[in-house]
Amino acid sequence: MSKLGDYLVLSGRSLYWAVIAGFRGQFPKVSEVFAQMVEIGVGAIPIVTMVCFFIGLVLAIQSAYQLVQIGAGNFVADIVGVSIVREIGPLLSAIVMAGRSGAAVTAQLGTMKVSEEIEALQVMGINPIRYLVAPRLLAMMIMLPCITVLCEIVGMFGGFLFGSLSLHIPADLYIEKTIHALVLKDFYTGMIKTEVFALLVGTIACYCGFAVQGGADGVGKATTQAVVASIVSIIVADCILTGIFYYVL
Amino acid sequence: MSSKSQPDDMIVVRDLTKSFSGRSVLDGISVTVKKGDVLVIMGGSGCGKSTLLRQIIGLSKPDSGEVWIRGQEITRMEERKFSEMRKKFGMLFQSGALFNSMTVGENVSLPILEHTKLAEEVVNIMVKIKLELVGLTGFEHLMPSEISGGMKKRVGLARAIAMDPELLFCDEPSAGLDPVMTAVIDTLMVDLSRKLGMTLVVVTHDMASAFRIATKMVMLFQGKLVASGTPEYIKALDNPIVKQFINGEADGPIPLRLSSDDYLKNLLG
Repeated sequence: MSKLGDYLVLSGRSLYWAVIAGFRGQFPKVSEVFAQMVEIGVGAIPIVTMVCFFIGLVLAIQSAYQLVQIGAGNFVADIVGVSIVREIGPLLSAIVMAGRSGAAVTAQLGTMKVSEEIEALQVMGINPIRYLVAPRLLAMMIMLPCITVLCEIVGMFGGFLFGSLSLHIPADLYIEKTIHALVLKDFYTGMIKTEVFALLVGTIACYCGFAVQGGADGVGKATTQAVVASIVSIIVADCILTGIFYYVL
Repeated sequence: MSSKSQPDDMIVVRDLTKSFSGRSVLDGISVTVKKGDVLVIMGGSGCGKSTLLRQIIGLSKPDSGEVWIRGQEITRMEERKFSEMRKKFGMLFQSGALFNSMTVGENVSLPILEHTKLAEEVVNIMVKIKLELVGLTGFEHLMPSEISGGMKKRVGLARAIAMDPELLFCDEPSAGLDPVMTAVIDTLMVDLSRKLGMTLVVVTHDMASAFRIATKMVMLFQGKLVASGTPEYIKALDNPIVKQFINGEADGPIPLRLSSDDYLKNLLG
């Protein structure tokens, strides 16, 4: 329970230094934010797009399996489009990012903790949250939405390939049906989810890194813990947000 | 400010206690360091030297007792205010604690870049001067993984003095250095304190180096202060624990084992 308290305190401070302090003229170092955006975001593009492409393909095949029976094969476009933009895109990108970039952040901060680097910062009067966490959290919050959009496009392309090559849906019809099926709400609810996931992945990764005790063993444990906690909290948050969007919006 | 504190007292530690999971590590420690002093904290491994240093610099909180630095109590100080104060501190960690993702030069320049708005050219010159002081001219572009343990420690010292702190803490500065480099570092420390008026707190168990630099020495034994005074006083002191330690003898009152459990009982269960 006290761990949850520590986590909330750290998250609050991280959010302050990553976002709010910027409005008070104490923006995190721009070069560091960009370096982290490359590290956390750009580096994750190959794996995330690959996963999304295949999931889009699978989604199309699985829905065709049902739809073709009732002669509604054309609706594959609608199903793939809506489910990717509303759900699969944000969720999958966040989970892959948690496993790849979140774990990397935990391992990096954990190693710094073990080798007294974080204490060295404190002793120099440099706030480790401002110096280390803020750029990483901000990078995550900027890059995860970008990655998600990319992921959604590639996922829909996967569905499109199956639709046009196997179901012989004309390309223009597939694209038109996809555009027709999607409304703006699908997109922005997905983006709200993404931003919440980015916050969760970023803060959990940094918290677990700072909480490392002991040596290399501790870093390994913390990294595992960070990935597990991130994925579970992403799915729980996803469920809550989907419920809110369904009943309220 | 407390009534007992004098204006030239840099650090006043009062009745400090700290225990880890029931084992008492510091037990009622009181020390005063005046401005310009070089305090050497001696004691065997595991006697609480580093723990005492960590309490003084506020990296961990004591169970009870007070630490006053420049007339301000730091154990209950707000983090932001203390952070401001720490800009005037420097600390050399036992392992050097360099940032592994930065070059040697970037490590030394970090505190300067973070706390001042000096131009890059000026910072580069300052970095060169500090590295020169520890005998590492021309090493700016190497990564910490490319230099030896002793060099890392010297870079750590260069970083600790980068901002010309008023107070410098050193945890085992001579461990891992060759005798010549130890002497160089000792001379540097003496210069820093005598010429620049820097106050130093040094934890060490290298006796030769301790007597070279100290103006005041304290000895810790099983979490308690057993002796405190000038190097001459400590040398002349007729205390078996101190004598055994400074002469490095195997026989004496300092036990081999940390626990006082009966050896036989321990062996036989």
